[in-house]
Amino acid sequence: MNRRNFLNLTGTLTGGLWILPDFLYAFGQSRSLYSSDNCLVFIQLNGGNDGLNTFIPYGNSFYYQSRPNIAIPEKDIFGKYKGMGFHPALKDFEDILQNGHLSIVQNVGYPHPNRSHFRSQEIWQTASASQEYLTHGWLGRYLDLHSTEHQPTAAINLDSIDNLALKGEEPNSITIKDPTKFKTATETEINYQVSGNPQLDFVRKIAQSITEGSEDIQNALQQSDDAFEYPKSSLSKNLQWIARLIKGNLHSKVYYTSQNGYDTHDNQLNTHQNKLSELNDAVYHFYKDLKQAQLLDRVTLVIFSEFGRRVKDNGNGTDHGTAAPLFIIGGGNKGTIIGPNPNLSDLDEGDLKFEIDFRSVYATLLKNQLDFDPTRIGIQEEIITSLF
Amino acid sequence: MHIAHLWSLRLGFSSKQAATIEQMGLKSFLQRSFNHQTDTSIPDFIQDEPHTLAELKEVREKIKDADEKEKKKMLKKQIMNHQELKKWWLDQMINEAFPLREKMIVFWHNHFVSSAQKVKVNYWIFQHHQVLRAHAFGNFKTLTKKIIQTNAMVRYLDNVDNKVGAINENLSRELLELFTLGIGNYTEQDIKEGAKALAGLNLGETSAEYRKRQEVNESITYLGKKGGFKADDLVDIIFEQPAIPYLITRKILQWFLYDQPDETLVKTYGDYFRSQNFEIQPLLTKMFTEAYEKNISGTKIKDPLLYILQLTDALQVKPLQKEVVLGFLRQQGMDLFNPPNVKGWIGGNAWLSSQVYLQRNKASDLLCSGKSLRLKGIKNDDEVEFEISPIDISLDWNHQAKPNEIIRDLADRFLFQTSEEIQKDMEQILKYDFDPKSENAEASVLRLFNYITKTPEFQIL
Repeated sequence: MNRRNFLNLTGTLTGGLWILPDFLYAFGQSRSLYSSDNCLVFIQLNGGNDGLNTFIPYGNSFYYQSRPNIAIPEKDIFGKYKGMGFHPALKDFEDILQNGHLSIVQNVGYPHPNRSHFRSQEIWQTASASQEYLTHGWLGRYLDLHSTEHQPTAAINLDSIDNLALKGEEPNSITIKDPTKFKTATETEINYQVSGNPQLDFVRKIAQSITEGSEDIQNALQQSDDAFEYPKSSLSKNLQWIARLIKGNLHSKVYYTSQNGYDTHDNQLNTHQNKLSELNDAVYHFYKDLKQAQLLDRVTLVIFSEFGRRVKDNGNGTDHGTAAPLFIIGGGNKGTIIGPNPNLSDLDEGDLKFEIDFRSVYATLLKNQLDFDPTRIGIQEEIITSLF
Repeated sequence: MHIAHLWSLRLGFSSKQAATIEQMGLKSFLQRSFNHQTDTSIPDFIQDEPHTLAELKEVREKIKDADEKEKKKMLKKQIMNHQELKKWWLDQMINEAFPLREKMIVFWHNHFVSSAQKVKVNYWIFQHHQVLRAHAFGNFKTLTKKIIQTNAMVRYLDNVDNKVGAINENLSRELLELFTLGIGNYTEQDIKEGAKALAGLNLGETSAEYRKRQEVNESITYLGKKGGFKADDLVDIIFEQPAIPYLITRKILQWFLYDQPDETLVKTYGDYFRSQNFEIQPLLTKMFTEAYEKNISGTKIKDPLLYILQLTDALQVKPLQKEVVLGFLRQQGMDLFNPPNVKGWIGGNAWLSSQVYLQRNKASDLLCSGKSLRLKGIKNDDEVEFEISPIDISLDWNHQAKPNEIIRDLADRFLFQTSEEIQKDMEQILKYDFDPKSENAEASVLRLFNYITKTPEFQIL
């Protein structure tokens, strides 16, 4: 508990009434405390994205041998370079790479990989070792130390549920369920789901009108517009809102959102094609939007998943695996491909062996983008010097 | 929602009685609740306070003559004792095995309103409370007679100033408008005449008493009846009026079952109430058993008291600092013994504003992360200080169950209904491959619970 919060908790008996402090941060004071305007944007691909069919080792014959049913034909692959290339749905990633704004970190994972969605996400979100259990998220711990006082808009999570990565000692992040329903002063009455139950409708209406730090968000929204058009997917909408908040000078350090549907045990070709198309379109519009606003150097977009998938297919799909590529866009990255191509002949129970620990990526983001010493939150891994 | 949990919340303040309701059935549970003895002893902090008018006068003089420091000290003691009274009541709400009486007292205390802020005498507030306690399940007519003749009431509604030659209509008006018939069922003339009958009803030793020299002893016409009436007579006449059962019946329906009760229900139960001679037990039994049969839910927004006691019970918060609960209630607009005005809390949608909702979510965030406020001490004589401190919490969930079973169990206990959206979110928080034996399992289920408490559905019963 810092001093400012502490003072706010002092009440008085005067007048015969016990005045309690606000319970607790409902009127939380908030203003920008940050000198640097850099921020991180995360897209968490839920379900375990198949890295081998995303950034594809088409030059390795093992790839085609292992995946007779779901390998992507060489002729369809985009941006071929040194035996690697993009899934056709990620056609615009090639453009970003060509412009020098995309870095790909290959074979990212961690020792003793866990193949449970639940646990592996927890590991990624808390930056713990495989056998270690932490209750606070890595970004939450960063925000605790970085924010000198409770700052509700230090991190914005665009999702229907809170994200463990942002959970810290102090509530320094907020979750916005549906930004399109976020009421702005100039926009008309929000629509809320009509349930036929007047009590429920009433509470839902209120639920949508409350977001701590909403004044700051309103301000940011008023200082920006949605003139730059995005596609219709919910990921696109979320990124569009993140871009608006950044353009409107909200000064949040972290934005977080997620995309579901990557657990492709079956019918992988179609599902993956659809998901990656949605991702491609959303990311590419976000990229162009920020580039046009000349904010790309300040913003680092990170795309990751809790694990990759098995090298061999299981018929029409793939089972849970381990290491996978991680994408970094903007933030003045060096636009390179980092680490060797996936080694498909030296596997661990049919899965790739990781080359780069995800915590090294985190350490690099904290150090190079946020000027924060990662060891302060217990991340000891080496920084990747070739990233920024 | 599991029906026993729903009714435990309705008839109490948490899910604590769910097992008992399930076991003995609703009818027996009600019977046990009606028969359950209540503690009528006078707690120490009230014993300390001046009781008789003479003692009170003495203390007043003392305060008047005392120096600044002494004055402050004496006033502070009264404030502290008032705080003790709130804690004492809260304690019964939390710990009674059959808390329906407490729930009913909260109802009456919001119907026959008297605010400590105006009355100021702790002993009178306590007496008023004891009348409600004794008659909570008794007879509405008897209770009305008793309660308007408490010191707290004659003081709160200014009948102490209602004397021959200086008539004050306040008590007479509220007796008709807010306590019994409701607007439209009497005339201004009835209020004026009633005030005469009440003139001279002033402070007494154990209850209000008529003072001979302040009375008006003339024949009046009250609701069409002629005679020389006093307080009890007024109530007798009021209870002969056709409209008498409906206002109170509507309010009872609102307090326990529906924010917006159907008027046909008000009529049906009102008529039944009258047929039972305004005995409260048969009315409650009929209302509750019929609603139980109909299995109604989602008809009421939780008041702050139910919200916080359910939350702290679900989390088994230890230690539970009652000062913090009281502070929360105050901030949420439900300060005990201190309703905003003579009409009491409006209830329903009025409980919830975006500020209040946000505060509820913040309280849940704080408690679910194993923290609460703690009274740190009193500084400079009059500043109370709080600090954030760790607490023990423990949520009851089945460590042998599969994630979807844990989700269903929590939803059954805490949400009157779920939606596809909520279901999806819950499955996102507790994924199908969640391992309930893992070291972080507790924290994960707490995150699920925390999510549940913040849904609109959790705000409703």
